[in-house]
Amino acid sequence: MKKRLGIISLFVILFIAFITIWNFSYQTGLEEAYIPLEYSSESISVIPSESGVFKRSKFALDYGNMPVDANHERSLNSYYDNRAYHGAPPSIPHVVNEAQNMGGKACLKCHENGGFVQKFNAYAPVSPHPELVNCKQCHVEQNTQSLFKPGVYAAVNAPKAGINKALLSSPPVIPHQIQLHENCLACHAGPSAPKEIRVSHPERVNCRQCHVLNNKEMTDIGTFKRANNDVQ
Amino acid sequence: MQTTLSNSVLNSRRSFLKKMATAAAMTAAATMFPGIMFAEEQEKNLPKGGNLDWKKGPCRFCGVGCGILVGVENGKAVAVKGDPNSSVNKGLLCVKGYHQTMCIQSSDRLTHALVKKNGKYVKTPINEALDLVASKMKSTIEEHGKDSVAMYTSGQSTIPEGYVASKLMKGAIGTNNLDCNARLCMASAVAGFLTTFGADEPMGCYEDIDYADYFITWGNNMAEMHPVLFSRMLEQKNRRGAKIIDFATRTTRSSTASDKSILFEPQTDLAVANAICYEIINNGWVNNSFVEKHCNFSKGLTNIGYGTEDKFSFTDKPEKIDFESFKKFLEDYTPEKVAKYSRVSVKDIKYLANIYGDPNKKVVSYWCMGMNQHTRGTWMNNLMYNIHLLTGKISQPGNGPFSLTGQPSACGTAREVGTFTHKLPKGVVMNPAHRELAAKIWKVPVERIPSKPTYHATEMFRAVDRGDIKFIWTQVVNPLVSLPKTSRFRPGMEKESCFVVVSDVFPTPTSDVADVILPASWHIEKSGLYGNSERRTQHWDKMVEGPGETTPDAWMTIEVAKRMGYGDLFPYSEDNHVEEIYNEYRQFHEGKKHGMAPLEVLKKESGAIWPYVDGKSTQWRFNSKYDPACKEDTDFDFYGKPDGKAVIWQRPYEPAAESPDNEYPFWLNTGRVIEHWHTGSMTRRIPVLHKAMPHAYVEFHPEDAKALGIRNGVNIKVSSRRGSCVLPASINERGLPTKGQVFVPFFDENMLINDVTLDAFCPISKEPDYKKCAVKVEKA
Repeated sequence: MKKRLGIISLFVILFIAFITIWNFSYQTGLEEAYIPLEYSSESISVIPSESGVFKRSKFALDYGNMPVDANHERSLNSYYDNRAYHGAPPSIPHVVNEAQNMGGKACLKCHENGGFVQKFNAYAPVSPHPELVNCKQCHVEQNTQSLFKPGVYAAVNAPKAGINKALLSSPPVIPHQIQLHENCLACHAGPSAPKEIRVSHPERVNCRQCHVLNNKEMTDIGTFKRANNDVQ
Repeated sequence: MQTTLSNSVLNSRRSFLKKMATAAAMTAAATMFPGIMFAEEQEKNLPKGGNLDWKKGPCRFCGVGCGILVGVENGKAVAVKGDPNSSVNKGLLCVKGYHQTMCIQSSDRLTHALVKKNGKYVKTPINEALDLVASKMKSTIEEHGKDSVAMYTSGQSTIPEGYVASKLMKGAIGTNNLDCNARLCMASAVAGFLTTFGADEPMGCYEDIDYADYFITWGNNMAEMHPVLFSRMLEQKNRRGAKIIDFATRTTRSSTASDKSILFEPQTDLAVANAICYEIINNGWVNNSFVEKHCNFSKGLTNIGYGTEDKFSFTDKPEKIDFESFKKFLEDYTPEKVAKYSRVSVKDIKYLANIYGDPNKKVVSYWCMGMNQHTRGTWMNNLMYNIHLLTGKISQPGNGPFSLTGQPSACGTAREVGTFTHKLPKGVVMNPAHRELAAKIWKVPVERIPSKPTYHATEMFRAVDRGDIKFIWTQVVNPLVSLPKTSRFRPGMEKESCFVVVSDVFPTPTSDVADVILPASWHIEKSGLYGNSERRTQHWDKMVEGPGETTPDAWMTIEVAKRMGYGDLFPYSEDNHVEEIYNEYRQFHEGKKHGMAPLEVLKKESGAIWPYVDGKSTQWRFNSKYDPACKEDTDFDFYGKPDGKAVIWQRPYEPAAESPDNEYPFWLNTGRVIEHWHTGSMTRRIPVLHKAMPHAYVEFHPEDAKALGIRNGVNIKVSSRRGSCVLPASINERGLPTKGQVFVPFFDENMLINDVTLDAFCPISKEPDYKKCAVKVEKA
């Protein structure tokens, strides 16, 4: 009798264990496959507006040691020529194969590091924001010279080079907004830089040590005003 | 001149070919464009230089002490450029330096003395104003005693200005009521040097940058605060592959330019430094022969308080210990234990220790306000030296701890001339021998120099508020923007009980509460001498005339001294007082340990480093290879201490004076930006700089901002238990504080963040902590 009771209780325990384990694994199976994403406490480690100055592509040109190729220089005029207005994204001045379309790195093959392109007899301009690869979101081809309807566009005077110094010997201020082009050297150094704005000292890298924005505020703020003007 | 520099083919020969091509192209380019690669078009529109007269001097702003050349035309300063002969900056400046002279022409320049009469400022001839200052000072002393008058000067005062202020207060009047704003920036560095080495100021020099393999910056945003030195570091990084490691509580411009950025929880730098020492000892990286020959071990008191109460006093009691008990003490600071509260990973702590511990790597550590403005600032400085002493990486080219300064003459004037309450031009007031030397050179009875220090900066303004100080004269300084907890000190200075004299170049919130405003000459409108962080003394001659009745600060002090009847102690001439004073001052430092270069040398050269011995600057002190003051039979001699041994201090981690809690959940950190210098009274009057950085802001971590629903530019009220301040939010702009921390630059007198900060200070150095207090934030 005792022996039989023992066997029965053993089976009862095994049965309960089976039910529990089966239940647990069934419940687990109901949950979706999920791997929790681990956010580190510092998920953002770069400051977009600051780190751009120091950012270079992996095979960026050695700007400090670049020769001047006078036969293939761009000028500021031709630089502005393919922009609708000062600050607008430049249009694409060459034919682009439709197959090389969205999200890939087709454009970056030439425009990440720059370099001479035999086909166009020119140096490829370097993109200041190679991390944005949906290029044709902002940059489009110009496939016709004709207009749908002509219009009168207000002319925007682009800043001129060489006149942005406060003092005779002081470094020029930055006369344009830098959003999306925080990497100064992309446009101001290397053989594709317009000759008027090519920097003589690209090796100094920390551009904003000496060059500051002259338009942090969108409108002219004038000179410093004290809250208290009792004196004088 | 087409080159093969495109990236189309990458193979092992590529870099070789590239170098060959570059070299060839460069040679060709150099012949075509000798020395310059500017397009002609760039130069076309520039105004022509004409007949500029370039005059040499040091920059007006930070402690780096760049050499500048000021272009003068028809008696006006029209240009500034870097002095190519200065070994500090080699011809380069920063944006502040290039535009510095533009502030002189500001429309609200103080050109005449102003005396407050019936609540209004009345233009007064300078002689009358100085009469009033002298008679007021004299009558206050007669009525309330010597210790009722005080002077508060600056790390921007020239050497002669600091010297005559000290001579007037300590030698002529006989009170130690003299302190300066360097208390707010360098006092912990001084206390650190004195406790560890017995001699103030760094042992190395900027040339260390050219030799170091690693630069480790501790809580120090050099890209913005010491930009020219940072550019020298970047040059070495790009040229030699030197590494920059940024160890900080905030991601800054420096972090993004560094090879590695390591963030830590505010105040835990103490623990991390100890953990590095633990690792160095535990891994057997100690330079045993160096430590045995040149180091002692000591400990001091712990739980030393925070000084937030009036009349707080503290004296440390040093006690010698041995290496074994130091080792035992460090067991509380294993990387695993420290990682828990410092938020620095074990891996990163070991990484740092590894760099310091590797005998084949040369390391320079840089720090400035992060370590000094710290309620345990002296300890933190000691701990920094511990790391370098344990590994023997000190006083050699490319190896050493280097304490940077913030002000152009924090070293030259505040520390060397000694415009602190406890200091004399040589030594301290507590030491009878030092008092005797001062009395001898000053030609005053030795009993006149009191032996007891009185008020340090914070306590001085507390005393004004309490009514203990009845007369205060501030020079070259703007305490109502720069003191901590200005919410107490502004009403304090406004009280009738204290007569306030302010010498300045421009009106400031401090001059707003003055009874007399004296118009000071700016930098290049007078002659002077500054001393920078690397012990370099630099002289400049007056370059342009100042407007109106502006007068050099030193001369105003002398004029007041004469009017008070101390004329015989100040026998200097108006035209030549700078030279006469410097020659008198040099006597204090004669000898191999601190000899100052003669004026003829300083006039000719772009500064000279003391100790200046036998016509030579001493670049690395305490190393017998370079320093003639060392004993001859030894390699190193820390001669500041009687036994020639530096002290390795046992200093624990202790929490900050005020930490975030439920009611005030954020850390508040304050500091500077590259465009503005200190309280902005000069740089904000330079249009280029004002437009680049028009106002202060409160910087958030993007995740905190998101949680609080704060967008960029929205006005935020930052408040603490002391006061509040409204500023626009800044997210992802200049810097990135760690989560749970906000950062505010303090330059903006229209947004006074120091109304919010806490006046807790390091009990040893008495330097306040501007980097840590608890605040809450809400949309205004």
